[in-house]
Amino acid sequence: MIQVLAFYLFAALTIASATLVIMARNPVHSVLWLIVAFFNAAGLMVLVGAEFIAMLLVIVYVGAVAVLFLFVVMMLDIDFAELRAGFVKNFPLGMLIAVVLAAELVLGIGAYRAGSLELGTPDGSAAPLLGKSNIESIGALLYTKYLFLFESAGIILLVAMIGAIVLTHRERKGTRPQIISKQVRRRPEDATVNVKPEVGQGVQL
Amino acid sequence: MVDLSQYLPILIFLAIALGLSAAFVFLPMGVARLTGAHNPDAEKLSEYECGFPAFEDPRSQFDVRFYLVAILFIIFDLEAAFLFPWAVSLDVTGWPGWITMMVFLGELVIGFAYAWKKGALEWE
Amino acid sequence: MTSYFQSLGLTYEWSWFIATIAGILLIALPLMLAVAMIIYVDRKIWAAMALRKGPNVVGPFGLLQSFADGLKVFLQETIIPSASNKGLFLIAPIITFTVALMAWAVIPFNSGAVLADINVGLLYILAVSSLGVYGVVISGWASNSKYPFFSAMRAAAQMISYEVSIGFILICVVLWSGTFNLNGIVEAQQGHGLGIVNGYFFNLLLFPMWVMFLISSLAETARAPFDLTEAESELVAGYQTEYSSMAFALFWLGEYANVLLMCTLNAVLFFGGWLPPLDIPVLYLIPGWLWLFAKIFFFFFVFSWVKATVPRYRYDQLMRLGWKIFLPMSLLFVVLVSGWLMVTRYGA
Repeated sequence: MIQVLAFYLFAALTIASATLVIMARNPVHSVLWLIVAFFNAAGLMVLVGAEFIAMLLVIVYVGAVAVLFLFVVMMLDIDFAELRAGFVKNFPLGMLIAVVLAAELVLGIGAYRAGSLELGTPDGSAAPLLGKSNIESIGALLYTKYLFLFESAGIILLVAMIGAIVLTHRERKGTRPQIISKQVRRRPEDATVNVKPEVGQGVQL
Repeated sequence: MVDLSQYLPILIFLAIALGLSAAFVFLPMGVARLTGAHNPDAEKLSEYECGFPAFEDPRSQFDVRFYLVAILFIIFDLEAAFLFPWAVSLDVTGWPGWITMMVFLGELVIGFAYAWKKGALEWE
Repeated sequence: MTSYFQSLGLTYEWSWFIATIAGILLIALPLMLAVAMIIYVDRKIWAAMALRKGPNVVGPFGLLQSFADGLKVFLQETIIPSASNKGLFLIAPIITFTVALMAWAVIPFNSGAVLADINVGLLYILAVSSLGVYGVVISGWASNSKYPFFSAMRAAAQMISYEVSIGFILICVVLWSGTFNLNGIVEAQQGHGLGIVNGYFFNLLLFPMWVMFLISSLAETARAPFDLTEAESELVAGYQTEYSSMAFALFWLGEYANVLLMCTLNAVLFFGGWLPPLDIPVLYLIPGWLWLFAKIFFFFFVFSWVKATVPRYRYDQLMRLGWKIFLPMSLLFVVLVSGWLMVTRYGA
């Protein structure tokens, strides 16, 4: 009973906030609605028993990806009028993509309903657990059976990191960064001299 | 199976915490209206800039390094995300699982070394 | 607690519900009280280290200072700058405070005394604390003023930088305990050091992790010496500049609740949580929550001590410490800890 209520609460909020993502006029509001949508999706994940995925959704998407989005929309000078002009221009293309997606959905659900698709057990409890909990089972599968996919994920992350650095990093001229090792290596003898000037004479440096 | 009854308190807690903090924000606004403390004027409502009128739009363009930090953070966060299930399943996966992860970490250490060499981690 | 309400003749559902609500209030209200007192304690410690008296007028020894401040702030006018985004401006403190409260749902106060005993407790804390960025960033942006905006950007970059190494440090702890459940982590620490010391700090591989965790928790909560977000000499009051009344106070409450949370995590993850420091039967006569509170208070004292004595970092130094020292070090220790455990525990 509570589960059903919670499901409808999360599902309705997910759809509502997802709609608001594209309806909001201010891009910062869009990102914030997106965060609400992620949150409710995490709630749905908990409801199907995938607690690890739910936490990851919050940690990675809300805690990291959305922060980047927020950085981008907050700090870029975006001309909203120009954006809206683009909306009219790209409207047919957007509609086309929407129609294709809708057709795919209908096809997919239709095929599933017709019984030609095997989707496995939708309920996590029915599958045999390899470890004591959800996370352990994921680990037990990911690092043995799906090893290749896991390592290629690592390669993709590597490419992403190098790509980001190549695209955004600029060498700065004329900066004087702190070189800690140089500071530490410096001895008092290099920096100071003991002099004993005679009366009436200045210090010769 | 996940014990969902353990998650319900969190949901209730969220509702209570939201209500509590919303009350903390909105109650004083009502109280201020009643006591007469609510007395805004144009100067009071202008943004703070050491007594000057604002010179320019504060939401200016920012240094690209902030984006780079955010991107690097995503990548390392994902790396940590892969480490979580690995850390508790070592008893099942054994040495092969350990070596797999070392290869994965090796890949990311290459990226990290590249970032370091390129000076992407420098702030001056 | 459920069974107690059941004995009063209520059905299971109702007694569960009432017990849960009571548990939530038992966490939230004392937490707010503790925050009020801890602000006073912070000021007292800070004053004592500067050979001052600190708050000493309101109530005996100035004990009621925080409540007087709270009342004053409550009766103040809430100023909403005309240039700000009003909705977000008011939502930001709500987010900060809610997030600061939420993390406490999974903290074990005693054996089994936890509101939500979930399998992924540590991940939950990581998830909730990663939301803390939003309160700061939204307040900085919604204020539409220069100082809050700069401060918000600094805070966001600082928080995410240190979250990376915190994640790796937590993995070291999880590797050793083999669970994400905080109760399980505490229990795994029983008799960890030479069979008598309760706590992971008594472990050559985890002790450096604890030192890094302590420093990272200072940075994560933007306490001195990492309080660049509120560097008053350059940024006025940071992201709180435009705030007044309770909205301003909520940032303070949230900040100190987060500080307490980080102290608690230090105690739970490395110092045996509600276990007594030594694994001696006599010490178990003292209730577990008292041990936990004593440890939290000890770490809070350390936080205050650092604030009173250490000069502020420069921003490039802060980033260097996070990315170039803590990140590679914690990564190295993940490899070392897991390698050690493979050889000694799982290898056969």
